[in-house]
Amino acid sequence: MKRKIPIAIIFVVGQFLAFFMDGSISQILSGTLFKYPNTMVPCLTMMWLILAAFFGNSKKLHLSVWAAIIGFIFDMYYTGILGVYVFIFPLVVYLCQVIYQQLPSSFMSGFLVYFIGITVLVTLGFVANAFIGQASTSVSQFLVNTLAPTLALNLVFLAILYFPIETLYRTHRR
Amino acid sequence: MQKFFSSRKLVIVIVCLIISFGLMTVSVAIRNKRSTPPMIQQFGNDIVGFADRVVAVPMNGVQHGFVSVKNLLNTYQENQRLKSKVDLLAQTQVKDQTLERENKQLKRQLNVGSTLTGYEKINAAVITRTPSSWASQVIINKGQAAGVKKDMPVIAGPGLIGTIAEVNKTNSKVVLISNTAENSNRFAIQIVGSDSKVVNGIITSYDSQSNRIIMGNITSKAKLAKGDRVSTSGLGGTIPKGIYVGTVSKIAEDDYGLAKKVYIKPAANLNDIEVVSVAVRE
Repeated sequence: MKRKIPIAIIFVVGQFLAFFMDGSISQILSGTLFKYPNTMVPCLTMMWLILAAFFGNSKKLHLSVWAAIIGFIFDMYYTGILGVYVFIFPLVVYLCQVIYQQLPSSFMSGFLVYFIGITVLVTLGFVANAFIGQASTSVSQFLVNTLAPTLALNLVFLAILYFPIETLYRTHRR
Repeated sequence: MQKFFSSRKLVIVIVCLIISFGLMTVSVAIRNKRSTPPMIQQFGNDIVGFADRVVAVPMNGVQHGFVSVKNLLNTYQENQRLKSKVDLLAQTQVKDQTLERENKQLKRQLNVGSTLTGYEKINAAVITRTPSSWASQVIINKGQAAGVKKDMPVIAGPGLIGTIAEVNKTNSKVVLISNTAENSNRFAIQIVGSDSKVVNGIITSYDSQSNRIIMGNITSKAKLAKGDRVSTSGLGGTIPKGIYVGTVSKIAEDDYGLAKKVYIKPAANLNDIEVVSVAVRE
């Protein structure tokens, strides 16, 4: 019998892959994603973490620790401003996990919880950046031009990747 | 759901908030003052940068393939258009060479050393872009080791696109001029008007709605026309003179009607950057 690669390793490698894909997608599609007035930000890292919280065993995967680590690397490598996503990532993962446990596990409830998660992520990111003077848009502009397009983009990503990732975790649970 | 804010959780949240604000303040301060980030951060960024190349290189390769096909389809039209420009370019190049030589000789005669115009280029490729709405920032694959320093101007294709914001050993971050944040860089630029009078000023903001750079607070009476060329003036800081920025697209009064505001169309496309060069003043 072929030996399976442990899910913990797949989780960590996939997480870094998603992290780098965020940057690469932003770079390659920058003409489309950041076209005025809308900005769509891919959040594949966050999706990987949230889906791991849905399907995986978060204790065994050390989910919140990894969320904090990847958040720290995100701050360091992408934005250069420390202390923003290192706290937002674990918070969003925790929040999604708590809400998801109250709901029947199905695609629809996953979709809704993911919606809430991305909203919290983007909003807190906006608040933090407004605090240090990076974000200068008004709240209404933020809602229309950043939050809504970002949600749309990431829900499309979720719809594409939900079932493959679910299958991955299901086959490894046995 | 259990009680969400038990006192222990509340304490943790508050401590996290304090640490978060502290770290943010410190890193903004470091960014504004010091020329390089702390050693640990630099080290981490270098490692992540190396790992990123494993993902970024194939992705950029795929994009390159698509762009090549698109270019192939446009080749014929472009060829026609460019043919007409080639003759003119050769002429200008010869003239440029002669003038450069003459300039050197004159400088030697006058005992003038290097002036503001001279600069060398460090070529670099873009690895990735910050996936964030708030920071228009790209990461390039050259750093301290190649001689890149903070605040150096970055050129892509025809013109200026931004400045170096953070330098690590093997990669650095470039803040684009489209970044509207208040702490992003302000360039000293100049416009040569039709009557060869020079108007000096700085880039004051960016109008993202129309993709125009705004040069504000101009009190000079010199006449400017649409289409006048704008370049860096080399005054102040590490930016050399004579880097092409764009052309004048509109001239308007500022909010109080006292000074003029010039809208400049940037020469480089800020949303399609693959290869850049960093200008180093000699």
